[in-house]
Amino acid sequence: MDKVKEYKKENPFRLFADHLQAVGTGIKYMISPQRITLKYPDETLSLPTNYRGMIRLYKDVCIGCTLCALICPADAIKMTTDGGKKLPSINYGRCVFCGFCVDVCPVDALKETRVHDAIFTNRRDLVFRPDRFGKDFEEQSPSEKVVRKMRTVIDEKKGIKYVPDE
Amino acid sequence: MNLLWDIRYYLFYPSFFVTIIFPGLIFTTIILLLTIWFERKAAARVQMRIGPLYVSRRVGGILQLVADAVRLVFSEIIIPNGVNPTLYVIAPIIPLIFSFLPMAVIPFSSIPPQGSIFSVYSKAFYDQEIDQGVLVGYFIQYNLIVALAILAVIPIFILLQAWSTNNRFAILASVREALLSVSYDVLIVISVVAIAIEYHTLDIAKVVESGIPGIVANPLAALVFLVGMLMGTGRFPFDIVEADSELVVGPATEYSGFLFILAMGGGYIATFAYSFIFSDLFLGGWLPLSGLPGALITSIKAIIVLWFAVFLRGVYGRYRLDQALRGSWKYLLPVAFASLILGLVVGEVWIK
Repeated sequence: MDKVKEYKKENPFRLFADHLQAVGTGIKYMISPQRITLKYPDETLSLPTNYRGMIRLYKDVCIGCTLCALICPADAIKMTTDGGKKLPSINYGRCVFCGFCVDVCPVDALKETRVHDAIFTNRRDLVFRPDRFGKDFEEQSPSEKVVRKMRTVIDEKKGIKYVPDE
Repeated sequence: MNLLWDIRYYLFYPSFFVTIIFPGLIFTTIILLLTIWFERKAAARVQMRIGPLYVSRRVGGILQLVADAVRLVFSEIIIPNGVNPTLYVIAPIIPLIFSFLPMAVIPFSSIPPQGSIFSVYSKAFYDQEIDQGVLVGYFIQYNLIVALAILAVIPIFILLQAWSTNNRFAILASVREALLSVSYDVLIVISVVAIAIEYHTLDIAKVVESGIPGIVANPLAALVFLVGMLMGTGRFPFDIVEADSELVVGPATEYSGFLFILAMGGGYIATFAYSFIFSDLFLGGWLPLSGLPGALITSIKAIIVLWFAVFLRGVYGRYRLDQALRGSWKYLLPVAFASLILGLVVGEVWIK
């Protein structure tokens, strides 16, 4: 029978020194803080070109094949008949932004936009019928002030930091 | 003129002034709000965040706490089915009362015979051990023992609170509290006994008036008392009882609205009371001054201790229950005994 050691032997003075070091590090950060927070309503990230945001429909291109409605895993896209033509409508309350509909579309009638921060005041607004789906998403500014676009860069000390994007 | 003098006499009567106005009820409530703000800001600074800011940008979001307090006060108090409503309502109030009560017996300052606003009362609050008056709500010769005894009662009411809410998280938390309270009370009592032996007294005022801060005379007792204080009042890293990622908020899980403020405020006020004892015993209390400025010095020292205790939230994670018990029994109890021996030796050699 091997004897199983429950805890490994620790040097209590080493433990105490570790605690002192932890508190010292905390005080160092307390005195000279290094913040990496993005102050969101005043600054936003400038997003990469193929960011998966809100989806936009090009009505003239769409052939009404219903593939997007079939592949949608969240049942967000439903086909509606609009003036004799079948067009998709989307419910953003269900959409998971997986982008399958954009991938599957044979004529590239669906495109992803870079808008991702939107405000809806009731659930009916979440459903986009083809007439609203077929327009660019009108972007509301999250604050009245001018929003600064920021970019992420790798920083040696903090990990990441945000710098203004031109 | 006579009436004005009477009003002044009764307003500054230590039993009223100390317990209600200055280091007592009103001052403590303001400090409580500031402390919670500081806790959030300090944790945010250490963790590279900003903390509350947008409520009042100019002063660093200090009004966020007022907004939170107003929201909590006006939200509905929900009393669950299947609890005894009377017990449910008084359960968070009793620990709060017992956290406040030590403020009545802890000396905050001494009263010189002349020259102070309190000099009139120096006869009524005369302490023969230091041969002058003591600024305290109710003078008892053995105030060190009484203050600690009142603070040691709190865990029982935490158990009552958990039991009366009839919630499984609360009952788990109360079991943890029961296990922890055994270990931290031993540490606090041994370190205080070491100080009592060292200074040959059980009167906090005499410990302060001896002129040697306890942290110089017995640093081991100071360390053990500080850790016992953190453990006893649920500050990090011993946030085991109200572990909010495991047990919602522990004994206060079922409470809402104003009762929640009372349930959460008790821990902070107990920390403040312990901080007063710490600043008196180990940091020299009111020492350079006396009278009303002396009470201010004591309060500033206590606030520094309290803010250090809440600052640790940013530094530490949470110990498991077994780690905390192992730490207290295996590592800190020998240190406590060492502080007892150090107290015996230093008290015999240095402090007469």
